Parts: sequence; structure tokens; C-alpha cells
Amino acid sequence: MADHLSSALTVAIIGGIVDLDSTATWQFMISQPIVAAPLTGLFLGMSLGDARAGLKLGLMVGTILQLVWIEKLPLGMNVPPDAALASVLSVALGFLAGHQYETYVEREVCNTVALLFSVALGLFGRSLDILNRRWNSAIDRWVSKGMVAGKTDTISIGHSLGGVLSFTKAFLFCFLIAWLGVEPLRFFTKSLNFVYSSGFIVIQGLLPAIGFAVLASMCIQSKPELKAVIAGIVIFTILPASIWLIFPAACTIGWWFSRSTDVST
Amino acid sequence: MQVAFRSFFLQASWNFRGMMNMGFLYSLKPALDMIYPDSPERQAAYKRHLDYFNTNPYMSSIVMGVILSLEERLKKGEITEDIIRDTKEGLMTACAAVGDGLFWDSWRPFVAAAALVLAFGNYLFTPLLFLAFYNIPHLYFRFQGIFWGYRLGTDVIRLLRRFQIQRIRLALRYATLTLLCYLIPNHVNLHTPFLLTNLPLEYYYFGEKVVQGISATALVALAALAYRSKIDVLMISFLLMVCALVLYHWGILI
Repeated sequence: MADHLSSALTVAIIGGIVDLDSTATWQFMISQPIVAAPLTGLFLGMSLGDARAGLKLGLMVGTILQLVWIEKLPLGMNVPPDAALASVLSVALGFLAGHQYETYVEREVCNTVALLFSVALGLFGRSLDILNRRWNSAIDRWVSKGMVAGKTDTISIGHSLGGVLSFTKAFLFCFLIAWLGVEPLRFFTKSLNFVYSSGFIVIQGLLPAIGFAVLASMCIQSKPELKAVIAGIVIFTILPASIWLIFPAACTIGWWFSRSTDVST
Repeated sequence: MQVAFRSFFLQASWNFRGMMNMGFLYSLKPALDMIYPDSPERQAAYKRHLDYFNTNPYMSSIVMGVILSLEERLKKGEITEDIIRDTKEGLMTACAAVGDGLFWDSWRPFVAAAALVLAFGNYLFTPLLFLAFYNIPHLYFRFQGIFWGYRLGTDVIRLLRRFQIQRIRLALRYATLTLLCYLIPNHVNLHTPFLLTNLPLEYYYFGEKVVQGISATALVALAALAYRSKIDVLMISFLLMVCALVLYHWGILI
């Protein structure tokens, strides 16, 4: 466990910073899984001498988690699952537990198990986030009382305290999970029969379908749009498509059809 | 400028009572200190802005700019406190609707879908591109919003109308759908051993692509139906995992 101490500290610092970005500060979207997971993979990979492998794992995890939670947004009172912490911990656990395995299948199974476990951690992270916001409500009451008493400094202190609490919550959570969770995960993965457990790799390949379904539900709003999407899928199934052609095609289609649609309705 | 920088920390103390109220006051504090050098007036302004506040964080700087211009007019005695309260309430709602629709509902899914196209292609610089593209309009609104709000006051709404945000949202939605049409048949990995044994080798590549395209579309359609029936995403994922493991065990999926 002592081996993981420095790695756990790295993970905790990344987790704290990334979690601050998710709601509390900046909102540059470093907290989006597609960024948070590769960032964690890069730093852990550098510390263990395999930055490329870490980055690749981060990208894989980030892609899946981005898709699974694409529609979860912190709007108004709504507190979504903590996708940022889930991304950081998924890569941390998968990489730290899996990098000692020799075969591809063993590593991939370990990564997939870490990914599934981190989804549950994301839900737990949501509960911590709600608790954090309740503490902030207590701080708000304290600041209001201070204002009535003429202590105007309470606003700066109270507001900063909210940010510190948010960072500390994520830091401690990530530290404990990354420090104590690696060995149990490795033990669990070892206990799986690797011949059958490569079914986990099949799961990895299918999970993007969930995110695509959510994205399609968000974007398709009429029957003609549904028909157009089906036609598009048929075209992209049959034709080989370069990804560098997709972007100009998407922008042109977006621009062209929005021009010819009456948006006042 | 200091207000714009402080607005990055708007939600540090987000709470269920006043939501972004502390962050809003914290951001405005340096400007309020300048407008009201006398302590009693300043304290009254502080209390005024410790009320409930909630809007889209990227558009908050517009509200801040308008409120600062109104605070200056209040100091000169041109308007009353009630006008500031009412304007703040109306503007934060309008900015929330515009900002949430533009950034959360349209821009973020579009940039995320574009990033996913690159990520599936194993481009390691994808996160950097995502950050760079996503933050261009974010930073533009964040910094420019203060000046728009301050200079134009409540006329800022007319300026926002000129952006044709509804049309931009529509264009982004169609562009996202186009990316989705590419992603679905190419990046849901469904492989079955039956094609290997039943198809001649020269047709194998095309056959595999067609089967994958059809089954991926069917899977996405099923998941979308489940999602529209209000089944939670995590429950759908769990069901998919169980089905995948069973089909793998039976040798239908590899």
C-alpha cells in the first residue's frame, strides 16, 4: 500500500483541481471525462514511466464516461453524478492495478472493472457534492449574520471557504480510494477467470451505444429528423468516411439546414 | 476586469439557500467598493446583492455589468433600489435560459461529439482540442459580457437577440446529429463469429460493416427507447452489460 502513496497523492491533487472546475470555479470543462480522464492517465503514466499508455487508457475511459453521462448537467437545484471524480478514479484504479499485468486481456479486464466501479463512485461523489452544498448553506447563513452585524469581510472568507471545502472533499475522496482501492481491485480482477472474463472487453465495445442513444434522444426532435438520421447512418455504414471530412460535412449541414428552417416557431 | 476574473469563482460557495448569491456579491465587491466609498451605502449594497441569485455562469458577467451600471445610477439618485432588484431578477432568468440553451444544450454536446470522433480515432491531442474549442465562446462571453452589460444596460437583451441564438442552437443540433450518424455505425463494436464461417472472404469486410451498422443502429434505437421511457442511463448500461455477457458466453458475440 505504501507504494501507492505518492500515486494516490497525485490522483488526489488532480481530483481536487478537476472537481473544482466541475461547478465551483472556472468551468473550463477540464472536469469533462474526455479531458479529466486523459489528464489523470498522462500524469500517472509519467510518474510510472509509461505516459503514452496512461494517456491511451485515459482517452478510452474518458470517451465512455463522456457518453454515459453526456446529458447530466448541474442545472438549478439538480446535482448530477460526479463524472469528474469518476473519470479520475476510473483511470487511477485501472492504471495502478492493471499496469503490472502482462497480457492485454488482463489489463483490459482490470480497466473495465475499474470503469464499472467508478460509475458507482460517481454516484457516491454526487452525495458528497450535495453534502458540500449543505455546508455552503450553513456558510451562507453565517455570512448573512455577519453582514447584519456589519462584518463585511465575512463574504470573502465564506466564499473562499466554500471553494476550499469543495477541493478538500474531492482531494480526500480521491486519495482514500486511490490509496486503499488498488489492492482490492487487483485481488478481485485476479479472482476472475480470464478466459471468460474477456467478455468485459465486449462490454467495453458496446457501452458507447448508450451514450449515442442519449445524444440521439437529446437531438432528434421530429420524425423528418429521425428519417434523416437513419439515412445518414446508412450512408456512413456503406461509405468509408475520413474523420477529417466529417467535421466540414457536419458544419455545412448544420449551417445549411438552420438557414432554411424557420426558428421563430 | 477584476469583476470578470472574480466571476470565474462565482459558484465556489453554491448553496441550496441563495445558490450563487455569495459568488455574485464576491465578484461585484471590488466595483461596489469603488462606487460606494461610504460605509453605510456600501453595506446596503452588499445586503442587496446577498439575495438569491442563479443564472448560467458564463452569462453571469452580463448581469454583473448591467447591475454595476444601475448601481452607479442609484448612487446618482436616478433610480430606486427596486429597479435594481427587478432588473437583476429578470435578467438572471433571461441569461439562464439563453446560456443554458446555448452552452449546456447545444455547444457542449456538439464539441463533445466532435471530440469523441477524434478520441475514437485514437488522436491523443483530443482533450486539448476539446478545451480550446469549447472555451472560445465561453471566454468571449465571460469577458465581453461585463462590458456589454455595463455600456448597454438593459438594452443588452437587444444585443443578445442580434446573435440569433436560436438559429445557432439549431445549426449545432444538426451538426451534432451528422457526427452521430458517423459515430453509430463506426464505433459501436459488435462482432459475431457467424460471418467468419458463413461469408466468402471477398465479401467479409463489407458484410461485417453492414451487419455492424445494422446491429449498432438497432442497439442504439433500443437504448434510446428505454431512455425515452424514463429508464435511468445506469440501469440501461447494467442491462446492456448483462446481455453482452450472456451473448458472449453463448458465443454469439466475440
